[in-house]
Amino acid sequence: MMAEFCGNPAVEAGEVLMPRKRKFDRSRICVKCKINPGNLVIRHSVYCKGCFTPLIFTKFHQALEPYINHVSVGPRRGALKPSGALLIGFSGGLGSSVLLDLVYQRYCANVGSDNLKGGREHPRKNKVWQKIYVCYVEVSDIFPETSDRTAQIREAIARYDGFELIPVRIQDAFDRTWWERVSGGAAPDLAGLPFDLGGGDSEPVAALQTHIRALPTPTAILSTLSTLTRLLLLYTAYSVSASHIVLGTSLTSLSISLISSISQGGGFVVPQAIQEEWFPQFVQRTIGDTSWNGEVRLVRPLRDVGMKECTAWVWWHQLLVVGKQRIPVPKQTIGDLTKNFIIGLERDYPSTVSTIAKTVGKLAPRGDSRVRCVLCELPTQQFVQRWKSRTSIRSFTDDASSMDTATSSLPHYLCYSCHTTLTSKSARSTATLNLHSSNSAPALNLPMWAATRLALELGSEQSVGPGAPANEIWETKKLDDGGMKSLVGEFLLENE
Amino acid sequence: MAHLKLKIEFGGGLELLFSNQRTHFVAIPSTVPQGDNKGQPADINFLTHWLRDNLLKERPELFIDTGTVRPGILVLVNDTDWELEGEGEYKLREDDEIVFISTLHGG
Ligand SMILES: [Zn+2]
Ligand SMILES: [Zn+2]
Repeated sequence: MMAEFCGNPAVEAGEVLMPRKRKFDRSRICVKCKINPGNLVIRHSVYCKGCFTPLIFTKFHQALEPYINHVSVGPRRGALKPSGALLIGFSGGLGSSVLLDLVYQRYCANVGSDNLKGGREHPRKNKVWQKIYVCYVEVSDIFPETSDRTAQIREAIARYDGFELIPVRIQDAFDRTWWERVSGGAAPDLAGLPFDLGGGDSEPVAALQTHIRALPTPTAILSTLSTLTRLLLLYTAYSVSASHIVLGTSLTSLSISLISSISQGGGFVVPQAIQEEWFPQFVQRTIGDTSWNGEVRLVRPLRDVGMKECTAWVWWHQLLVVGKQRIPVPKQTIGDLTKNFIIGLERDYPSTVSTIAKTVGKLAPRGDSRVRCVLCELPTQQFVQRWKSRTSIRSFTDDASSMDTATSSLPHYLCYSCHTTLTSKSARSTATLNLHSSNSAPALNLPMWAATRLALELGSEQSVGPGAPANEIWETKKLDDGGMKSLVGEFLLENE
Repeated sequence: MAHLKLKIEFGGGLELLFSNQRTHFVAIPSTVPQGDNKGQPADINFLTHWLRDNLLKERPELFIDTGTVRPGILVLVNDTDWELEGEGEYKLREDDEIVFISTLHGG
């Protein structure tokens, strides 16, 4: 014993070699069938190839099927009756390729056949969705260094029978024709307004490029593209009477986006990052009405399936992965840094990543808001500028606050996260976002839904904000810089 | 010098770094020819470096990171997760099939 303790001075002097952690719990035998030798380790549990496929199917339908009926009626599959069609948001990436395959295998392949034997307890595979669309958003017109991949995407989708592709281009967000089509003519006349909201007159590609050029950081560019993509998918879904959108966000990507969204001020919308109920701004809803009026439910059926499981699925089911378009931004973004961090973490501490998604997913902010940000259409706290003034250091001579509270300034209608995206930490004042652009300041181009909403808000009344009673108490807990750091810090101890 | 014949496959976009060829049949030295581990039987760590030096055409940082396979790449040894086989320390055998699949595509 002594010899062992006193041994090897070379090791003691420099690196003390940690015993290698085993990546799996008990034996190499599959935890499910307890017969076959395992093929894959999933967060310390060993599965054989034969048990892996049903495992992923189970995770997939458990994360999707309870949310299919507009009003939940029970767990029985036979009772699945969605109100509208299904729209798959497809990026060509790993997660959405796996999602496409799972949707096909479960709802399209062998529909009506008796391949699931059994009596009443096992209803025949029946057609759940009357129509399944796949929507792809192409960004190549905005970035000349990228190439249009719509043809490759079309090819990948053509491998599955019965999916209809809806190709969308990112600049459609600034296209009046597109907006009239998806909104059914809800586009207002923007010409008579005392300011230029963009979108209306200029060419869509140029309008979006102007919008992007005005953004302060590469991180802001990526988060803008992801907001535009999300809204394009939502409005497209509405326009084809889809009641559901599914996205291929894996457990790993969910952890990445939750952490990077929180660090960009998106803390208030964490529940929507996992699942979202959305309806277009022009749909009138009555409280208590349980019928379907075109609302779209956005679900992430792979939220319990990690990147590693997706990879194994792609390999073992021989899927063709087109790959996600890489957006050429000049330097590393918060998203990149978070991604590298989480992927490294997942290798060394596989359970931690799922803990992040689950822990952050439970952080439901108090003070649910019915007020929506004009840009991202997610619920927002009212009077963002008040939030801003509490969390940032302002100089005493800064008199911009009086201007900020004016309903004619854009920040009044933005959530904290979009506000942060449009401005940088300190380089820009919110005053540059004033809608009454002076001759010197170029007008800020806005996507069609935001322009429409602002036109309506500003056209109808001048004194009250976006539906908020003036004396409403701002009740949501303040999450200041320190609070944010300690929240993220629980996960990011090593590097911060 | 004795050699080991192996079948190497790349997937998930990783093949783009290896002449856009998915399957490679290679013969690598059965023991490490030089360096700290000289004379040791060839393991996956050695194979990884051998592939970088002999087959990799571009961007080595997308394949190797701090001396081992970059996080996010799934490695299968004869269709089994390398985590069940000792990871980089798995001792290679004649006719082994080693698969490297990148997961860095995102959602
Ligand atoms: Zn099994
Ligand atoms: Zn917003």
